[in-house]
Amino acid sequence: MQEKIKIIQDQIANAIEQHEPLKIVGGDSKAFLGRNIVGTSLEMSDYSGVINYEPTELYITVRAGTTLNEINNTLAKHGQMLVFEPPQVNARTTIGGVVATGLSGPRRPYSGSVRDYVLGVHCINGLGKELTFGGQVMKNVAGYDLSRLMTGAYGTLGVILDISLKVMPLPEFELTCHQSLSLDDALAKMLELSALAIPLSASCYDGEALFIRLSGDEKVVKTSSKTIGMDVFEQARQFWNELRDYKSSIFNSKNNIWRLSVPVTSVLDVGNEPCLIEWGGGLYWLDSKRPAEEIFNLASAAGGNAMLFKGTDPQQEIFQPLTDGLLSLHKNLKNAFDPHSVLNPGKMYATI
Amino acid sequence: MDFSKLTEILPTGAVLLSEESRRVYECDALSAHRVMPGCVVLPDTVEQVQAILSYCHTNDIPVVARGAGTGLSGGAMPHAEGVLLSLAKFNKIIEVDPIQRTARVQPGVRNLAISDAVKSDGLYYAPDPSSQIACTIGGNVAENSGGVHCLKYGLTVHNIMQLKLVTIEGELITVGSHAFDSAGYDLLALLTGSEGMLAVIVEVTVKLVPKPPFSRVLLAAFDDVEKAGNAVAGVIAEGIIPAGLEMMDKAGVRAVEDFVHAGYPTDAEAILLCELDGSQGEVETGLNAVEQLLTRYGATEVRVARNDAESDLFWAGRKAAFPAAGRVAPDYYCMDGTIPRKHIAQVLSGINDLSKKYKLDVINVFHAGDGNLHPLILYDIAIPGELKRTEAFGSDILKLCIEMGGTITGEHGVGIEKISEMCIQFSDDELEQFHAVKAAFDKKGLLNPGKAVPTLNRCAEFGAMHVHAGKDKFPELERY
Repeated sequence: MQEKIKIIQDQIANAIEQHEPLKIVGGDSKAFLGRNIVGTSLEMSDYSGVINYEPTELYITVRAGTTLNEINNTLAKHGQMLVFEPPQVNARTTIGGVVATGLSGPRRPYSGSVRDYVLGVHCINGLGKELTFGGQVMKNVAGYDLSRLMTGAYGTLGVILDISLKVMPLPEFELTCHQSLSLDDALAKMLELSALAIPLSASCYDGEALFIRLSGDEKVVKTSSKTIGMDVFEQARQFWNELRDYKSSIFNSKNNIWRLSVPVTSVLDVGNEPCLIEWGGGLYWLDSKRPAEEIFNLASAAGGNAMLFKGTDPQQEIFQPLTDGLLSLHKNLKNAFDPHSVLNPGKMYATI
Repeated sequence: MDFSKLTEILPTGAVLLSEESRRVYECDALSAHRVMPGCVVLPDTVEQVQAILSYCHTNDIPVVARGAGTGLSGGAMPHAEGVLLSLAKFNKIIEVDPIQRTARVQPGVRNLAISDAVKSDGLYYAPDPSSQIACTIGGNVAENSGGVHCLKYGLTVHNIMQLKLVTIEGELITVGSHAFDSAGYDLLALLTGSEGMLAVIVEVTVKLVPKPPFSRVLLAAFDDVEKAGNAVAGVIAEGIIPAGLEMMDKAGVRAVEDFVHAGYPTDAEAILLCELDGSQGEVETGLNAVEQLLTRYGATEVRVARNDAESDLFWAGRKAAFPAAGRVAPDYYCMDGTIPRKHIAQVLSGINDLSKKYKLDVINVFHAGDGNLHPLILYDIAIPGELKRTEAFGSDILKLCIEMGGTITGEHGVGIEKISEMCIQFSDDELEQFHAVKAAFDKKGLLNPGKAVPTLNRCAEFGAMHVHAGKDKFPELERY
């Protein structure tokens, strides 16, 4: 694998010399995300494999090109999992892409996000320097937390080589309940349930019914399901996997699909457009014909942010515009990691 | 340096220039290192903080931000030609939202005051550094503080949502949000644990969590340290994530037992404390499983607390480890390395070898669940050369932690204390990357200069926290 690292470093050196940016590609399963960019492909899928997995240390170290499938299977053999439930868009989805996009699945509000479980990264910055930040241990405050900074940076700060992630035990038992409710009642119910000491692990309102998943100790899950007083839903695994992997029906729309992350207490005016709500009311998927500016305003007015998840116009800005102060810090940081702007430039924002 | 201009920006009494008034601020809890600050400012509005920073930026004046000054690594040690910016007056809880389960607080609010304020809503703020009655949330963010319960509930970085900060140019910026995700880079994570090097925090939004309905502690004794270390791994392998999992060696057990009489078995080579929380049924089932498992791993005795009072007693011993060390030796020096759990026995034996080599006793207490060690090296500063030997011993422990795949600091921060060891843990390229990140926020290098990241050409002088005659700067604070 040292050879592969050398190849990547050569590619970066070449990109700097030729002023020809690189486009980092893993399994290419989430190529539809982010802004359209051009560049020479830097392939990561052949840099794969589990480097170290110690169930009793609660961590796994993997190469960026390792498929999520392989990681999930490896962990499951030891009764463990990636608790942030990353989307597995297709069989080629790699962990590098998961970390680079920072997208977490249905369990996120109850157990934390990708970055919460990133313990360390081994990466190459835009100068071709091989760097390691963080490590495999749970607590580490030596130096700035650059491994978490790289999570969700869409490859604009460095090429992630290896990642160490904290893993957690698989729940002993899971149960999903559902109930037909209006949107307002569903939102209220999600908030009400979040305040209870019950082992919630996912929540979703699909426009007709509210779905609640409970995970943990079997007795506790069963008692809790009685407390919440909803009917047991049988096709649960398929339902949550489809939601996690962006396969629910809303994702088939021909319109723009927006992803709005907002405070759980906000009430968004979704109009008559189809929407799907998860994360206890904190995540809206919106099938909308409204202009981008209107959606960005809707999100920011609620104290959140929007992202064009799947768009019809390739020129449209994807991510919530940043304030001037924030954008200037972003530019400075991009410059600190990738001064020649060769790593995925423009993938998030035009100027970084 | 002319600080008198600051009196024009700030109200009367908010600028301390006299020697007596500045003296109070000359060190944090790493009291071996003292520097008289050039001047001390005590603003009470965000606008004043902006004005101070903008003034310092224009006039190239170093700025060191300070919360309660309870830090153990010298992160708030002043700069002789600089401004010491105390955030003590920012002590208000601005807003509690029990439905959103967040609290928006000023940085000078004490950690425990947040939990106290939301108790009636059945909520609390999870990270619980041992100094929580005094340390402030702003300092917790700056150091990414942990605590006994972070194995299950995470560190500060996992428990905050939004920060308002002022840059060295005086600009007010919000990072993060009250939503689960935010746009752009994860600056919230970058700022957390950045030791006051990147910006000054003026507001924090913390997450609140529902108080678990039930919790209970179990105590297990082992006749062999290795068995205890393996038992820790065994608990985790079983799929159990305890709320807290602590370990103490024989020297520690004896020191605390003499002090607080917690009923610890003094003939044990090591003891484990394991706390579970959740619903009563869940906890009772879990404790049963842990008890059987620890017995299987060779525990000579397992005691489950029969009630809350007994749980508190079990904890009292662990929490008294630092003051107990202060009773058995004139001074002690606390280390903070973190290692993979599986190496606990090996590292302990390494520390014992070093103890013989340096002819200094050591008491070992661990946050075993997450591999965070707090070896307390016992020494006497009155004996010439002993502090130097202690520091060399401490440095060797940190090197051992790095060799074992760990880190030099799990929760106390680098500050000035571990700046030399940063040179061992990180390569020049990595340190250069840190400096580049620093420059992205603070090009002139005015915020907390000389801390956290060593310069390449020269690793700064190595210091130590030393406690004389059992009295540290905050003797009333628990340290564990």
